[in-house]
Amino acid sequence: MALHSTNPTPPDRRPPRWADRLLKRVLPADLLEELLGDLHEQFAEQAAELGEAKARRLYALEVLRFCRPYFLKRRIRHQQRTQSDYSQPYFLSPIMIRNYIKVASRNLAKNKVYSFINVFGLALGMACSLLIGLWVKDAFSYNRFLPDAEKIAFVRVNFVDPNTGEVPVTNWVTPGPLQEAIAQDVPEVAAVTKINYGPEYLIKVGDKAAKEKGHYATDDFFGVFDLPAVYGNPKAALKQTNQIVITRKVAETFFPNGLALGKTLQLNNDKFYVVGAVIENLPSNSSLQFDWLVNWKVQEENWMKTWGNNSFQTFVRLKPHVTLAQAEAAMKDIYPRRAGKNFDTGRPTLQAITDLHLYGEYENGKPAGGRIEYVRVFAIVALFILLIACINFMNLATARSATRAREVGVRKVVGALRTSLIGQFLSESLLTSLLAAALALVLVLSVLPTFNTLFNKQLTLDFNQSDFWLLLGGLVLITGFFSGSYPALFLSSLQPIKILKGRLQFGAGPALFRRMLVVFQFSMSIFLIVGMLAVGRQMNYLRTKHLGLDRENVLYWPIEGINEPTKFNALRQEILRQPSIASVTTAGSLPVNVQGSSGDLSWPGMDPNQSSSVWAMFVGSDFTRTMNIKLADGRDFRADSPADSSNYIINEATARMMAQSAPAMKDPVGKEVTFWMGKGRIVGVMKDFHLHSLHEPIKPLILCFNGLNVEYLLVKTRPGQTQQALADLTNISKKFTPDYPFNYHFLDEEYEKLYRSEQQVNTLVNYFGILAILISCLGLFGLAAFTAEQRTKEIGVRKVLGASVTNIVGLLSKDFLLLVLIALVLAVPLAWWALSQWLGTFAYHEELSWWLFGLAGLLAVLVAFLTVSYQSIKAALMNPVKSLRAE
Amino acid sequence: MGRPYLGEFEELVLLTVAILEGQAYGVTIAAELKQRTSRTISLSGVHIALYRLEEKGFVRSELGGATAARGGRRKRLFTITAAGKQTLSDMREVRNELWNAIPNPSWS
Repeated sequence: MALHSTNPTPPDRRPPRWADRLLKRVLPADLLEELLGDLHEQFAEQAAELGEAKARRLYALEVLRFCRPYFLKRRIRHQQRTQSDYSQPYFLSPIMIRNYIKVASRNLAKNKVYSFINVFGLALGMACSLLIGLWVKDAFSYNRFLPDAEKIAFVRVNFVDPNTGEVPVTNWVTPGPLQEAIAQDVPEVAAVTKINYGPEYLIKVGDKAAKEKGHYATDDFFGVFDLPAVYGNPKAALKQTNQIVITRKVAETFFPNGLALGKTLQLNNDKFYVVGAVIENLPSNSSLQFDWLVNWKVQEENWMKTWGNNSFQTFVRLKPHVTLAQAEAAMKDIYPRRAGKNFDTGRPTLQAITDLHLYGEYENGKPAGGRIEYVRVFAIVALFILLIACINFMNLATARSATRAREVGVRKVVGALRTSLIGQFLSESLLTSLLAAALALVLVLSVLPTFNTLFNKQLTLDFNQSDFWLLLGGLVLITGFFSGSYPALFLSSLQPIKILKGRLQFGAGPALFRRMLVVFQFSMSIFLIVGMLAVGRQMNYLRTKHLGLDRENVLYWPIEGINEPTKFNALRQEILRQPSIASVTTAGSLPVNVQGSSGDLSWPGMDPNQSSSVWAMFVGSDFTRTMNIKLADGRDFRADSPADSSNYIINEATARMMAQSAPAMKDPVGKEVTFWMGKGRIVGVMKDFHLHSLHEPIKPLILCFNGLNVEYLLVKTRPGQTQQALADLTNISKKFTPDYPFNYHFLDEEYEKLYRSEQQVNTLVNYFGILAILISCLGLFGLAAFTAEQRTKEIGVRKVLGASVTNIVGLLSKDFLLLVLIALVLAVPLAWWALSQWLGTFAYHEELSWWLFGLAGLLAVLVAFLTVSYQSIKAALMNPVKSLRAE
Repeated sequence: MGRPYLGEFEELVLLTVAILEGQAYGVTIAAELKQRTSRTISLSGVHIALYRLEEKGFVRSELGGATAARGGRRKRLFTITAAGKQTLSDMREVRNELWNAIPNPSWS
């Protein structure tokens, strides 16, 4: 054994240098020599024996094994022992850190007002970021709970305009045969399923009954969505037409003893089903929400087998190693090959199910946004607020730097290094942000329930999750370092000799920097205030705009359980007999959000290349009277006119569309057209009313007559008699449909629902605007207090020389107000641009007007003035004798 | 037994120190152990064991013997103390007694 090799190490046969450097940081100084010696000796031997490359690798491994607690602990102990010598204090040594924290906490305690402003401001900012962070995380988690979520896709259909190649329509509902066609023609797809719209049906077991939402789904539903089963085999159960798959929730409601399998329940007061399987409840971040599933065939009708009827949602699961693009390419020819001439422009397009929640809107056949826009806006706004709070901290810290400068000077003279001063200032800001984070947690916990009800979410702070602590830790570190960076770098760079000689002149630099920060802060606040006003105004516009139909005092009742015309007529007569009720009609969908559309309309003289796409719905008699829609010409459908069953009513938009190619249709009443009910005459023309939310322009509409019940019964109550009408209707419901609970809604509520996300933006912008201005003012308050304190002597002298209180208040406020005005000038174009973008998503909106900006500016100036004036008046009222006496 | 506890690896290291008699330091001990036990032995482990043995008073050490392969660094040479020897022989005795107490000697 060559244990005592004395060969000198050739210079190129050295162990890796980084490893030695690492060792120097880890090992105790007193052991370094012997350990490094041993390591090098072993390296020399291994290099000779095994070759240099292997030896270097072994060396690195050996060094890494030296990084263990034993040596670290010994190193720290050694350092402490040698502290008394003139050793270099390592700026991150435990003793220094302890010292930093001690100094920092003393500083915080000494300046209570500033500390409060900092901590409170930062806490508000952090609480906002945390809440928004939770919300964003929730938005991104949608559908990711599904096993193999990345292989599941939602099928939409693009309808390509053959002349231009553009895609004016992207349907999210698909025709029934598409699913079979994909299953047969597309080998890239492992499984495909379709579901219907998801009705709420009554589930009944013995005396217990409750309405639950569910779907009819084709056999392979669980092949696409591999949802975990609680009992039974969902896959097998769904294939049976006499079985039903229910969720744990339904199972626990109806079969509390836990024995749901094999029990029978009645659906919709109609068929009985055996519970074939129980699946887990769907989490709230699932796009699909249902509580029961029944085999598709049970309800399949002939119209569901046509390519012209787009009503169903189709989902596919791709085979492993198949991408969305590949599968989409394989589906390209399905429509031309299968759907027939009228529908050959359809092109199925796939969307990953994980994108479904965030990218709901399609433009020209491509995803064009949706909720993701709100996610972005909220995230940016939360960042703004955090930034504003950080700026407060920076501002106050630099403003106080004149005072702290002397401390820095003394520390440097006594021997502090720049690194340790930076450490001290950073630990001060980190301590502040840590306190703020604790406060922010408390804030978030207390507002979370409100937030959840507001946004209809179930967000929780999950303390057990490492993600959460990482996020919080990251937030603390980032805000701490960011807000502490300027004071730390600036103050630690000062030259002690200048400070202590009193010759330190703070140049214009820091003051200018401070002003810029204030301008920035207020720009953001004004931006948010303008947003607050404009969004609020648009919401008010949406709420009060006359739609061309009445939505007040109209309630709708989804009627079930009445199938015979005679019974339905009796019901109608009975309702009309009530003095509390003005009028009644039926409709296939709600007139504030019309659902069906069709390309089946044709009229004499029609240009075959012209698009004849119309919205359509079935209505009963007295529809326009009940909804108070004005007729431009002609009449309403009549209950006693059998001929009306093939007649149509159109709106002015349809009339205009038809007149484009056939001038004779300028006067459409009495003209013959062909639509769903065959050839028929137009009996009336309605003035245009809004069919959808105000995002959409008014589109052509055609009404078909159906005297029997369709989906909804629309009831107009007499003004002020709503309560009586509800009582009357409840009685009627008990009499006519005793098996169903009376289930009604108001039309204006349905209308408000169309704007739920706008409503949320509105609320959020309101809160954020107020928060932003609050935090900015906190900062301004601190800054003003500081300036007033610094200028105490000046104010004293001015007063002695005869300045009035008004003079001095003006003097102190002027500077700040100027900054706010500059901020206003900067914020206006930005706000103008952003809000124009948002309002552009509405086909009907309020125009932005100058007074919005004026009002926002005035508000900001006023608030800033009030904030500053407290301090300036206090300073101005001070007795000059007191301020000048001490010298 | 009033003496400090000795782990298995520490015992091996202590024995090796005794074997190498005056030439015992990190590298030689590790090499000897590697050869005799055919285990993977890391220098850091050996050193920690040595320092612990020294704290317990079973070995003592001194610096000396710099070589060129060590970059001119001295090595820490370990020698076993009387207490160390005593502990080793105590442990051996206990083991022997235990072995003798196994009822069927032909078992091994």
